[in-house]
Amino acid sequence: MTVVVGYSADQFGHAAVEHGAREALARGERLVVVNASTGQKLVDSRFAPDEEIRTLTAGLEAQGLEVEIRHDVVADVADAVLDAARETGARLIVVGIRKRTPVGKLIMGSVAQRVILDADCPVLAVKP
Amino acid sequence: MTTTVPTAVGTPTRVVDKAQYGLAAFLVVVGASVLVDAATLEDGFADQPVQPYAVPYVVGAVLTLLGVLLAVATARGDVPEAEDGEDVDLTGGADWRTVALLVVVFVLNILLIDWLGWAITGALLFAGGAGVLGSRTHVRDLAIGTALSVGTWYGFYSGLGIPIPAGILDGVL
Amino acid sequence: MELLLEGFQSALTPTNLLFAVIGVLLGTSVGVLPGIGPAMTVAMLLPVTYSVGVDSAIIMFAGIYYGGMYGGSTTSILLNTPGESSSVVTAIEGNKMAKRGRAAQALATAAIGSFVAGTIGTALLALLAPTVADVVVKLGAPSYFAIMLLALFMVTAVLGASKLRGFISLFLGLTIAIVGTATGQARLTFGQPLLADGIDVVVVAVAIFAIGEALWVAAHLRRKPLEVIPVGRPWMSKADWGRSWKPWLRGTALGYPLGAVPAGGAETPTFLSYITERKLSKHPEEFGKGAIEGVAGPEAANNASAAGTLTALLAIGLPTTATAAVMLLALRGYGLQPGPQLFDAEPELVWTLIASLFVANALLLVINLPMAPIWAKLLQIPRPYLYAGILFFASLGAYSVNFEAFDLGLLLAFGLLGLTMRRFALPVLPLIIGVILGPELEEQVTTALTISQGDVSTLWSEPVAIVVYALMVVLLLLMVLTGLRKPPATAAPTGSEPSDPSEPSDIEKQEVPR
Repeated sequence: MTVVVGYSADQFGHAAVEHGAREALARGERLVVVNASTGQKLVDSRFAPDEEIRTLTAGLEAQGLEVEIRHDVVADVADAVLDAARETGARLIVVGIRKRTPVGKLIMGSVAQRVILDADCPVLAVKP
Repeated sequence: MTTTVPTAVGTPTRVVDKAQYGLAAFLVVVGASVLVDAATLEDGFADQPVQPYAVPYVVGAVLTLLGVLLAVATARGDVPEAEDGEDVDLTGGADWRTVALLVVVFVLNILLIDWLGWAITGALLFAGGAGVLGSRTHVRDLAIGTALSVGTWYGFYSGLGIPIPAGILDGVL
Repeated sequence: MELLLEGFQSALTPTNLLFAVIGVLLGTSVGVLPGIGPAMTVAMLLPVTYSVGVDSAIIMFAGIYYGGMYGGSTTSILLNTPGESSSVVTAIEGNKMAKRGRAAQALATAAIGSFVAGTIGTALLALLAPTVADVVVKLGAPSYFAIMLLALFMVTAVLGASKLRGFISLFLGLTIAIVGTATGQARLTFGQPLLADGIDVVVVAVAIFAIGEALWVAAHLRRKPLEVIPVGRPWMSKADWGRSWKPWLRGTALGYPLGAVPAGGAETPTFLSYITERKLSKHPEEFGKGAIEGVAGPEAANNASAAGTLTALLAIGLPTTATAAVMLLALRGYGLQPGPQLFDAEPELVWTLIASLFVANALLLVINLPMAPIWAKLLQIPRPYLYAGILFFASLGAYSVNFEAFDLGLLLAFGLLGLTMRRFALPVLPLIIGVILGPELEEQVTTALTISQGDVSTLWSEPVAIVVYALMVVLLLLMVLTGLRKPPATAAPTGSEPSDPSEPSDIEKQEVPR
């Protein structure tokens, strides 16, 4: 059993990792961190630089966690998180959610929303 | 679909870019057709010091010669250094499937524009192009495309005074 | 001087000022955006010339030209991916500076250097262009023919890595120029009445620049996002000013003359400026680690070269860069022929343009210094939209010429040619210049021979023509000599064009699919 975290390189992702790590530690489970980008933007601020991933991994391992990192360019970010959950037999998925205006909801697709709707396991939605 | 043959840096092994023979053949064909076309031209007016066929003869001949030279250079191991760019990643192979699909989208635009008009085909062109290039939000693509095509239609019509044919939407727009 | 003041009066009318602002903003955006540059933008905007006044359109295009040079430097510094070829050198030191936390200073020295160089360059343009035009206007058709041949030759043979490819590109352009019935008989029209008027250069330009580039990028889209270095408002310390002002002036001195010469372009002076600064610097140890001189010099050089390019365009009618070539098309769209006669025929227009260049330059500085962080946000546009948008606007531009679906077919055909050219490293500029100057060459020979009643020797009857031909022979000999000295199998860049140091040295080769 694992805990899968949908990580974005911002405060929402940090909150998700923090909660995910706590869950994984409490149950002695493996932590799977997914940081993906569609690569559609030349610059994707939610896609963490390699350096940040190294720091993050080191920090988590220092807490005594077994960590798996999926740091990829994928066709769809929500699918990447869901696939990681299915493949590793996740008990729980943790995502960070952000505040959106009604118009923003209409225009922007939400990764967190897709994960919550399509996941086979419980999803923990956290706020920073 | 595509195969990539990465070549090592500065190795003396002779790599022949076979596709470049295709380009050489293309040049010879174009050059030859310019020459053939020039041969069908008649003498111009008496006061025309440069005959209409003079320039085509020169251009056609040189183009044919360049095609041959390119073939020779290719055989001798001349490899083109494909154009790099800000948004171009030459390390992977070329994704010709995307290009082919874009061409299909574009051809549809050409075939349909007289009938449907720019306001519709323009939107399809944008949404189709974005979809081929990897966008997953098709409804949003179509919405943006429609906004752009209808917007440019009105912009040209009232802003620039250029009436783009409305096609099937004639009278609606 | 009086003319220039009048020029300022008409450049500063609200309408023209608005177009200058639009141009500067557009130019900077396309400079920042990947895969889209000033030449492509001006080409796609050519339809506006059908209804916007000539002064407004030219002012906007000038703003795009100068703005593009500036925008390119922003991505060079913040992303290490030069937006335009003229800012390749900027990336070397600029990105290192940004990584050391000096992005604000790098952007500042680029912006202020561009302003200084652009202003000096434009002043030189105002001083020199009329004089040059006076000289050129006295030349006969034979000399003018010789100069055009020289320009074609230099653009083809000196620019780019491979001379063979340059000539292939040029003659493809000349072939396109033959199509039509300009000489009284249908040439290469294949019985197609829609080709009788020739192939519209606008369609060719839009296809080669926009469609060709979009297809090429689509085939090689970068998948992994790049890291952008966050930046605040650009500023410089006193020490930075002290280290920047000399490179600015030296960059200007290199950029202006080289921009005016065919084949000088913007790349060569930026590279020369970089080498010069590295040699003269009091901090040679900083080069390669983010020396401000290495940003200040080349950025001044590329803006000065833009002014030089416009001098050649206005005074002689010779486009020496892709953007200048498209601007020439725009002027022709108004029935104006850039060149020496323009100063006599349309003095108000020319001086308005020159004044607007000063205005555009000042606007760039005022608008862009505070806006740098906003420009970086442009990189967030999803690229499917960016390239679908290019296809969209390119089609619109080509379609609005005649409302013929046939033109869109041509657009696609030449777009595929543009894609092929990029795949086989054929330079784009010689083709465009060939299409533009081809008919003119034929016309000048005809004029010369008509005057001389068919006597061919008239072509070298003028001293200027003889000098130009001699120069071409010398260049040709030099080329042959340097060509003999190295093994023919290597398609390496040749002496005159410095090979780009930031370019990856490993050459990946793609096999075309079946």
